[in-house]
Amino acid sequence: MKDCELLIIGAGVAGLTAARTAAESGCHQVVLVDSKAKPGGVLLQCAHQGFGQGLTGPQYIEQLLRDFPKQVELQCATTALSISKDKVTVLSGAKTGLQRLRFQELIFAAGCREIPAGALQLAGTRPEGVYTAGQVQEMMNLQYRVPEGPAVILGSGDLGLIMAGQLSASGCKVNALVEQREKCGGLPRNQLYLERYALPLLCNSTVSRVYGERKLEGVVVHNRQSGKEYHIPCRTLLIAAGYTPERTLIQGLGAPEWLQLCGNCKAVHSMIEGVIQEGKTAGTKAWRNIRSGVC
Amino acid sequence: MKFYDAVVIGGGVLGCFTARNLRRWNISVLLIEAAEDVCTGITRSNTAIVYSGCDNKPNSLKAHMTVRANAEFEALCQELEVPFKRCGSLMVSCGPKGNAVLQKKLEKGRLNGVPGLRILSAAEALELEPALTKGIHSALYAPSTGTVNPWQFGIAAFENAIYNDCAVSLHNRVLAIQKYTGGYVVETEQGSVRCRVLCNCAGLQAAQVQEMLFPPSVRIVPDAGDYLVLDKSVVGPKHIIFHESEESGKGLTAVPTVEGSLLLGPTKRPCTEEYAAVERNELESLQKLTQEILPDVDLKLQIRSFAAVRPNPQHVIEKNGQYLPDGRSINSFVIEEPAPGFYSLIGIKTPGLTCADQLGAYLARKAADYLQADKNMRFVSKRMAIKQARQLEYKARAALVAQAPDYGEIICHCEDVTRAEVLAAIDRGAVDINGVKRRVGAGLGRCQGGRCRLAVEALLKEAGHEGL
Repeated sequence: MKDCELLIIGAGVAGLTAARTAAESGCHQVVLVDSKAKPGGVLLQCAHQGFGQGLTGPQYIEQLLRDFPKQVELQCATTALSISKDKVTVLSGAKTGLQRLRFQELIFAAGCREIPAGALQLAGTRPEGVYTAGQVQEMMNLQYRVPEGPAVILGSGDLGLIMAGQLSASGCKVNALVEQREKCGGLPRNQLYLERYALPLLCNSTVSRVYGERKLEGVVVHNRQSGKEYHIPCRTLLIAAGYTPERTLIQGLGAPEWLQLCGNCKAVHSMIEGVIQEGKTAGTKAWRNIRSGVC
Repeated sequence: MKFYDAVVIGGGVLGCFTARNLRRWNISVLLIEAAEDVCTGITRSNTAIVYSGCDNKPNSLKAHMTVRANAEFEALCQELEVPFKRCGSLMVSCGPKGNAVLQKKLEKGRLNGVPGLRILSAAEALELEPALTKGIHSALYAPSTGTVNPWQFGIAAFENAIYNDCAVSLHNRVLAIQKYTGGYVVETEQGSVRCRVLCNCAGLQAAQVQEMLFPPSVRIVPDAGDYLVLDKSVVGPKHIIFHESEESGKGLTAVPTVEGSLLLGPTKRPCTEEYAAVERNELESLQKLTQEILPDVDLKLQIRSFAAVRPNPQHVIEKNGQYLPDGRSINSFVIEEPAPGFYSLIGIKTPGLTCADQLGAYLARKAADYLQADKNMRFVSKRMAIKQARQLEYKARAALVAQAPDYGEIICHCEDVTRAEVLAAIDRGAVDINGVKRRVGAGLGRCQGGRCRLAVEALLKEAGHEGL
């Protein structure tokens, strides 16, 4: 079995920052694993200029990876399958095989997952054409495909707005953004898309029903205040209903001293600066624990 | 025109088991299915229960088949390499009416030879199943009740039928059936075939298929039901729970599935459309019932809701030259033989999944008698499942990954499904993400394919399936 001082799960902004911080503080052996083929996490699919000084996600990651400390052993296309209480993880990768790795400290930076349509009280059929907003973002920016229009977006948070902008710019008509709250939930800079593309925002509303037997044909939007229902035709429905921090792997571990969480698996962030800060804190603390353990 | 001894119409769980059982004899078989894949109709949305047989009328075919099927289920699932969990069931009552029903089922069950049936006091039931509400009066414990994944079960029989040289024609609708001397001509979208025996296992369309050649006798009036699925992190019941409500038709069924999720439902309501659509008030009533019966179950762990259309057979009456269902649901299995060599399973409802192999074997024996066929000595009953990395201990898994690196690449993180498994599913007939999901479970978990769907789609595309 291999050993390392610090294991970091997730090579998104949080994990990369934590790895750099720990290494630059003096940590010798950092293993950073990520299930995707490249480091960067969700930012790899963010084509909008919303990071740092007007950078896109991939540009920001490129900057973050510049002069990356050599002590960090980056294992991409590698998934952590389990973490045990005695500080051993099982890693799986096509190239790296199945391996056990013992660590002293663990930084968990696995990000978050989107709330799926199935978790909502959606009446109606279960046709093709219902995606989470992140899936459509991945489809457009990593697979270069545009979903079939017109689209309806449930949720006007940042991701809903960003996708509304991107779909409109790509020629996919957005028939409505549906928001259950009284007003739009996203950052002002993302709300600009509503004006730019003259997108209808339906507040105090929710998608109450989807229809279409095999392929999505439309949705029913219910306005909570007026009680009225509207039929809106669409071929694609984006669910931008929020996120759940991804902590499945650490369920049952409790909160041992050797475990730090940072980034979206700790709490979902809307700004990159908060993620960076948490990554730095986790990296510093992990190294401090390692050093005090050694002394 | 091609000729087969027997044609099976319908690739649901019943059609798949009928085809498999026909191949136990020297009978050449063609299975025709309208959809692009098998087990996509009523089989897809089933409550996944292997019943004990305490619900069925004593001495009925249904009772005999259910009790026998239940007893043989482990052996069958071992042969087909399908997971089966004999978790037992508790039918709970919350009042005098329920108590009476339980007593009646106990008597029926004993007459039917159901093993281990016992009425438990509330305290005994709560000790066995702490997830239950303290408000229950009594419970009927049936240790032999179990659960199986309906699609995996049907697909396993399908694969085994193919292994035993059953011919298959998918994405092919039957248009008409003609009689000819000594048999039938089945006209399909892809041409016509001749056969001597016809097994009609067409599910919701079974009555229409029979009426292509014969006057109406039984029609299917579909019911609809709604289900909820909770993530496997749920702390819920270990047994299947049947809640016998004081108000008829308002009970709850909860099934801890072989995958570890908790399946709640079905509700029961008339079906207003040709296909299933979830009704929100039904979901809400399911949630309310769950809170009452299983108060500690965390409903926030919901990952999916779906609706099912279920067959409900009724005899027809002729009125002014028109045939109409008589409004009374037929309780027994409807197995018709309108002419020699023509067998129909019409509107097989609960416990159709439990009895799928029994019903298939029943039709196969009839066909073999009619055709005077011998036993097929080359029949291989064993079916090899797709090897799943997640089932293996560390050493075995490491060896597998070393030997086949695709087993190292995780595609579905929630269910721990590897690239090798997804490729195997496609190789074995999955043509879309749902086919992959049904075969290897990718996309079945808490993110519902949020993270793996595009990767699975990409692999399907590489294999030449464009998807929808």
